[in-house]
Amino acid sequence: MSERIQVWDVPTRVFHWSMVLSFCGVFLTSESERYRDIHVMLGYTMLGLIAFRVLWGFMGTRYARFASFLFTSGEVLTYVSALARGRAERYVGHNPAGSVAIWLLLFLIIGSGASGVLLFQDIGGDMMEELHEVLSFAMLAVVAVHIAGVVVSSILHRENLVSAMISGTKEAAPEAGEERSYAWLGVIMLLAVVTFWAGYSALSAMAPAEFAGHAEQRDDDD
Amino acid sequence: MSRINTLLVLLLVVMSGLAVQPACAETFGQFMAEFARSAKSSPGFQSFSAANGEQFFKSTHGNEWSCASCHTEDPANSGKHAKTSKVIKPLAPLVNPERFTDPTKVEKWFKRNCNDVLARACTPQEKGDVLTYLLTIGK
Ligand code: HEM
Ligand code: HEM
Repeated sequence: MSERIQVWDVPTRVFHWSMVLSFCGVFLTSESERYRDIHVMLGYTMLGLIAFRVLWGFMGTRYARFASFLFTSGEVLTYVSALARGRAERYVGHNPAGSVAIWLLLFLIIGSGASGVLLFQDIGGDMMEELHEVLSFAMLAVVAVHIAGVVVSSILHRENLVSAMISGTKEAAPEAGEERSYAWLGVIMLLAVVTFWAGYSALSAMAPAEFAGHAEQRDDDD
Repeated sequence: MSRINTLLVLLLVVMSGLAVQPACAETFGQFMAEFARSAKSSPGFQSFSAANGEQFFKSTHGNEWSCASCHTEDPANSGKHAKTSKVIKPLAPLVNPERFTDPTKVEKWFKRNCNDVLARACTPQEKGDVLTYLLTIGK
């Protein structure tokens, strides 16, 4: 017995696709001084999004909760070896292998964002610069694995996981469903992101000097 | 317990990626020699020119910024980042001896900033001209 049920609530989906957008932007602007302010703005956005996601991991709906995708190493190994034989079990929420990538991403977003903020405040010297770069490129690598995993899993179980992350729904037994969508919260998140972008751009265009403070440009003082 | 273990292993994997690179110091003379060696491989190279370097430094090259947009018209002075307004220490090695000592930094900033100013990498000729110009400042 299966029907169309909701798996991903609205805040989780808004979180995900805002993260994808910000992540692409943050990388496209990382190698240039001209786009330094946009890079920083998008980095802050990712930190804001992740702060929400951490709360949502405890307070959110069924499949958004950390407990629903915190697997033991045994479970991950069992899943991976089944996957190698092409017989991986289907999970309605995150599968054990996918969840490894997701945990890594969550940690890397925090690490990369935090090191970026410190770097921008001229704390930590060359070490911080190195750290920010290494964590960011580690994240890029995990994103590649994450996308490959989504593709493989979609093919294996003949379901489109990308459209499930857009619509929030999957085919599954009715009792696996999650009723609450928290659409209002998703709307608030979207508004918050857009307001932040508009406000930040306006401020940095108006008064760049006051805005950035008078800290020394990193990297030229050591 | 084993859930905690999984997380620990993940963290360790991330941390082990953080190899620290050894820094090796050089002098501006070595950079000059390096630029000259690379420049000689292109046909028509004669020598580096401080005048060309100055001209290059102070003009725009298709984009809105020149080198001087951030480093000012006088590289003996502290500059100001054209985007974030952060202070940039003087570029002239005789004024600021920390300049042109770390190959990683020199390469990184030439790459990044030439891209912003010229929308391409700087040639060895251009780098040599600029360094020659910078060495005339603060004598
Ligand atoms: C275009 C590229 C991407 C696609 C197509 C994609 C697709 C997906 C899909 C389908 C899921 C659900 C996985 C499942 O069914 O178990 C998912 C989850 C997730 N993705 Fe992505 N993803 C992309 C890029 C990213 C990026 C760039 C990041 C972070 C930097 C990211 C972070 C996450 C996280 C944290 C989750 C877990 C969602 C949650 O429970 O909150 N993804 N992604
Ligand atoms: C969380 C997502 C972030 C990612 C994925 C990211 C990624 C990157 C990457 C790839 C670079 C280029 C590194 C290099 O090649 O040298 C970079 C540089 C930089 N980032 Fe981020 N960043 C993020 C967040 C931030 C934040 C929040 C800030 C500041 C508040 C920031 C400030 C900087 C600065 C100042 C640089 C230039 C570093 C330098 O002098 O080399 N970043 N970032």
